[in-house]
Amino acid sequence: MIDFLQINPGIWLILSGLICTIIPHTPFTQLYRKCLVVCAPIFTAFMITQIFTSDIAIGGLISIAGIELTTLRIDNLSMVWGYLFCLIGILNGIYGLHEKCKITDSAALIYSGAAVAGVLSGDLLTLFLFWELTAISSVFLVWRGGEHAYAAGVRYLALHVLSGVILLIGAVIHAKFNGGSYAFNHIGLQNLGGWLILLAIGIKCGFPFLHMWMQDAYPKASITGTVILSAFTTKMAIYTLARGYVGTDILIYIGAVMTCFPVFFALVENDLRRVLSFSLNNQLGFMVCGIGIGTELAINGVVGQVFVHVIFKSLLFMSIGAVIYRVGTAKASELGGLFRSMPITALFCLIGAGSIAAFPLLAAFVTKAMIISSVIYEAHHNSVLYLIAAMLLFASAGVMEHSGIKVPYFTFFSHDSGRRVKEAPWNMLVAMGLAASLCIFLAFPWGGYQMLYNLLPYEANYKPYTVDHVVFQLQLLFAAITAFCLLKKSGLYPAEKRSEILDFDWFYRKCGFDLLKSINLGWNTLDAKISNITRSAYGSVNKCLYGVFSPIGSFSKAAPSGLASVMTAAMLILVLIIVYFVR
Amino acid sequence: MSLIKKSSQQVKPFDKERDIHPFAIPFLWLGNKKVIKNFIWIPFSGLILMILIGLLYPQKHPAPWDVIPGSWALIGFFSYCLIVLCAKPLTSLLAQPEDYYGEGGLLDPEFSVENMVDEND
Amino acid sequence: MNLMSIFSQWIIEQGPAFLIVLPLLMGAVTAVIPNKGMAWWITFFVTIICTYTAFSLFQHVYFDSFLLYTMGGWNPPHGISLIVDGLSAPILLLISVMAVLTVIYALPASISEIEPKKRAPFYAAFLICFAGLMGMVITGDAFNVFVFLEVSSISTYALVAMGAARDRRSLAAAYNYLIMGSIGATFFVIGLGFLFMETGTLNMAEMSDILSELDGGSRVSKVGYGFIIVGLGLKIAMFPLHTWLPRAYAYAPTKITIFLASTATKAAIYLLLRFTFTVFDPSFDYIAIMLKYLIMGVAIVGMAFASFQAIFQSDVRRVLAYSSVAQVGYILLGIGIATSSGLAAGYLHLLNHAVIKGCLFISVGAFWYRFGITRVNDFSGLFKTMPLTMGAFTLGGLSLIGVPFTAGFVSKVKLILAAAEQDMWWAVLVIVFSSVLAIVYIGRIILFAYFGTPPKINGSILVKNEAPLMMLFPMWTLGLMSIAIGVNAFGIGDSFVSASEIAASVLLGERG
Repeated sequence: MIDFLQINPGIWLILSGLICTIIPHTPFTQLYRKCLVVCAPIFTAFMITQIFTSDIAIGGLISIAGIELTTLRIDNLSMVWGYLFCLIGILNGIYGLHEKCKITDSAALIYSGAAVAGVLSGDLLTLFLFWELTAISSVFLVWRGGEHAYAAGVRYLALHVLSGVILLIGAVIHAKFNGGSYAFNHIGLQNLGGWLILLAIGIKCGFPFLHMWMQDAYPKASITGTVILSAFTTKMAIYTLARGYVGTDILIYIGAVMTCFPVFFALVENDLRRVLSFSLNNQLGFMVCGIGIGTELAINGVVGQVFVHVIFKSLLFMSIGAVIYRVGTAKASELGGLFRSMPITALFCLIGAGSIAAFPLLAAFVTKAMIISSVIYEAHHNSVLYLIAAMLLFASAGVMEHSGIKVPYFTFFSHDSGRRVKEAPWNMLVAMGLAASLCIFLAFPWGGYQMLYNLLPYEANYKPYTVDHVVFQLQLLFAAITAFCLLKKSGLYPAEKRSEILDFDWFYRKCGFDLLKSINLGWNTLDAKISNITRSAYGSVNKCLYGVFSPIGSFSKAAPSGLASVMTAAMLILVLIIVYFVR
Repeated sequence: MSLIKKSSQQVKPFDKERDIHPFAIPFLWLGNKKVIKNFIWIPFSGLILMILIGLLYPQKHPAPWDVIPGSWALIGFFSYCLIVLCAKPLTSLLAQPEDYYGEGGLLDPEFSVENMVDEND
Repeated sequence: MNLMSIFSQWIIEQGPAFLIVLPLLMGAVTAVIPNKGMAWWITFFVTIICTYTAFSLFQHVYFDSFLLYTMGGWNPPHGISLIVDGLSAPILLLISVMAVLTVIYALPASISEIEPKKRAPFYAAFLICFAGLMGMVITGDAFNVFVFLEVSSISTYALVAMGAARDRRSLAAAYNYLIMGSIGATFFVIGLGFLFMETGTLNMAEMSDILSELDGGSRVSKVGYGFIIVGLGLKIAMFPLHTWLPRAYAYAPTKITIFLASTATKAAIYLLLRFTFTVFDPSFDYIAIMLKYLIMGVAIVGMAFASFQAIFQSDVRRVLAYSSVAQVGYILLGIGIATSSGLAAGYLHLLNHAVIKGCLFISVGAFWYRFGITRVNDFSGLFKTMPLTMGAFTLGGLSLIGVPFTAGFVSKVKLILAAAEQDMWWAVLVIVFSSVLAIVYIGRIILFAYFGTPPKINGSILVKNEAPLMMLFPMWTLGLMSIAIGVNAFGIGDSFVSASEIAASVLLGERG
């Protein structure tokens, strides 16, 4: 009898995804499939509650070729991600109810299942397996975006599979230094393995110069695809960082740079989903930075930030998705004044924007404050960190700019584009409503945020709603809004222009591509010359071989018995010579 | 693709006044020219108020810059201005036509309103 | 697994004689019975009973000891003895199993290949050929070997000639085979004459004792050995003496090709082993030199040369026939290495090759049965019209190449290891090179079958037309068997390997 509690709960999601692929495509079975999409995460969450009964639950021990694998480990840290992924799986399921695409449903289930299974795995090899599975399953979501997403999907897949391979190499090296143990605990940067694993994670969570896939692929995916994509991959990477690299100093600086540079790109970008992708990157920077600080407060802040971030980032992507669904574009230059026709979506979008900008009473306020506070507390011992804290504050103003103001303003307010469309479909509204109420609930001062804090891995004594916190946060935000109004009034605020903003991926999409083209051209000429020579050489060799061996060749002609007999006699003579004379 | 179908349904002349969502009717003043012009006073007064309260309740764990009154407000204001003012040079440096990579751009609506002049603006 | 308990003692005691007498007798009966329809059933049951007997003997040898059966109670050296030991038992089993599978295949195949009135004689000849092969392997008397060799050969000439109903060229092939086979048998018997002159006995055990007393004997025994090896070389299709083989395989009735390819050359190789290692002894210096220079030399040249020839053939059966010559090269290489691991590898490849070639020839026979095709170009799109048959062909082909998890891989790896043990890196190179050539000649066929488009007849693509069950059963049995050896499913791989190791230890005199 299989013990179901020994099975990694993510497997259930993957299984239901596989079932989805075999359910035939009719309007009637569509209903069952959608049920499965919504119910599978609920069941998975239920299984986690059944397994996670003590401080740490370990199971699914498998031994393959002498390597001990721990396929299931739920502790205080991974539990948060497990529940979070299930929760967001449900929301995404509801959000996608209108879509009649089988591929999206199955890919989404397998993808979320792989992410859940990945964070709940206790060793690096299992992690690698699901790491690659997330990449492979999610690329279908990108490709569902249509033909223009194809190339981006291929780049996405290539980078992510590469990341998995690097992870595997790193894991093998790391295990070598650790007496052959593949257990996934603190890794650190003591050896090359640690560095390689960090590089692999860096690709997944968009370290500077490794981030381009995010802004490349996410905006091109399908509407539901982008929402689903934004939730899992990067958060899974953050989990591995939080598990393996707590207190690694380099992460502080990487994180700080990561918070700042997307701010500039987000400002000039016209495509709002790409703006949100940059914003996602910037938020990940806060988390990476917090992991680098590594105090209990910082880790609590990171975990809480991950939890609320997934919700409000999905909410923002959902609202922009709804706009695309109705209007057909997410280009800021084409939108404006939509609050007249989509007021509910506009409200939810504002809640999401407020949450990401960390307005008091909205989600990020209770968590981001922990990260920034932890940096400032640590800065008492190391004054370089004040610079980091300043960068984080700068980035907070930036978040306010691109996600808090730009996204809702250009979509729903600004000048009236004259577009009058229907409100978003009911299922989108329900999903957004749930996410928005979670944003409010999880920051609610009287009983709300305490529930969030109870989930955190360490005991949280932090009090977010002190007067100074609220006041200084509001100073920052009000100052930003005032600045926006001033700049807008004075005409210094740039108008949105339709354009392609070059990013680091220019180096391989344009530069590298052109280089390859010219190399190819040179190669072709060279190849033509060489092949002329080789062709004639091959031709003559081939002629020789054919002449000797082919059915009409000299050796394969039907040998007459006489010749064969002579050959036999020659053989006999040879044999006799050997037995007689060779010594 | 469903997206294209959806947008093709909307190629009908808009009636700007009639097709407004009922929930939005009480908030139409948000599009009022005067409201937009004077909106700045709301954040500005909030800002002043918060700076004042900030003087009474200083940071419990102050950073070096917190000796300046209204420090976070200054950070917010100047950061914001810096970011926005960077937009122009960045655009001239990095912006390229949409079909730069030749992969087909992002989703486009059926018709463009990019160069439309709005009397409210 | 020890199944000894289920075999009656009678079978163990009388089995050796039974294996020869039953098919000989029933062969005669089959030839004369008035009801021609009975012929297949008689053949079928005879082969089944022989398989059962061979299996029980195999079990006995495997778990207990070798068997010495004295014909009519006359003890050697005056009487004729039959020997079943670790060397001969697996070959006996192999021959009888292949006979059963061939007979199963033969029922549908005969319909298209043999005229109704010739079917009963056909089965009679088949049984006699079968009896001859069994006799060659089981007998302990050197002259008896010659007799059974002739029994099997003469019936084989007749069987090959029966392909004339399908292709007249089979008559020429049979004639050629007859000439070459007769020369081989004559050389063999001349060699035996020399040996008799030297030792004064025809019993193999006795011969061996006398020869070792004489420390290899005089020039008479050397010349005798020379004649024997050339005579057997013809039967084995050792490289330069293989010219009869491709045509005989290509034009014989398909079921005879199957049977010949998987048993006849194997029985001859058995004789080579028997004479070289137990009658003579590799410690005689002329034997050692012969193994080192002649056997290995022709093995290496044959492997490369025949593989090249296989690449350029346009007829699939000739491709497989040349591949057989190349595979004989592998086996001879293992024998030439002459260490216990080399012999075991060669012997294992002998068994595996019988399984693989059986599978391949049966599927090619099925293609011919359905569509009448044997040319490589005609295989285009066959996977779509005969997926199961092509699947079995693919299994066999992969195994022939030596892809991991197949029988061919196991024996080739063992062969490479054995060669590497003796620091014969050039041999390793040739093995790998020849395997690459195998990829080319098998891959060419498989590519055509999988990626070609099925031919159109009257404008419509051929519909699926699978081989009959009676053909699918033997081909998949052998195909799955080769996989089972490769992955050691149900311990089959291990029992093959240990059978080969026991055979090697018998050859080197480490086991009775």
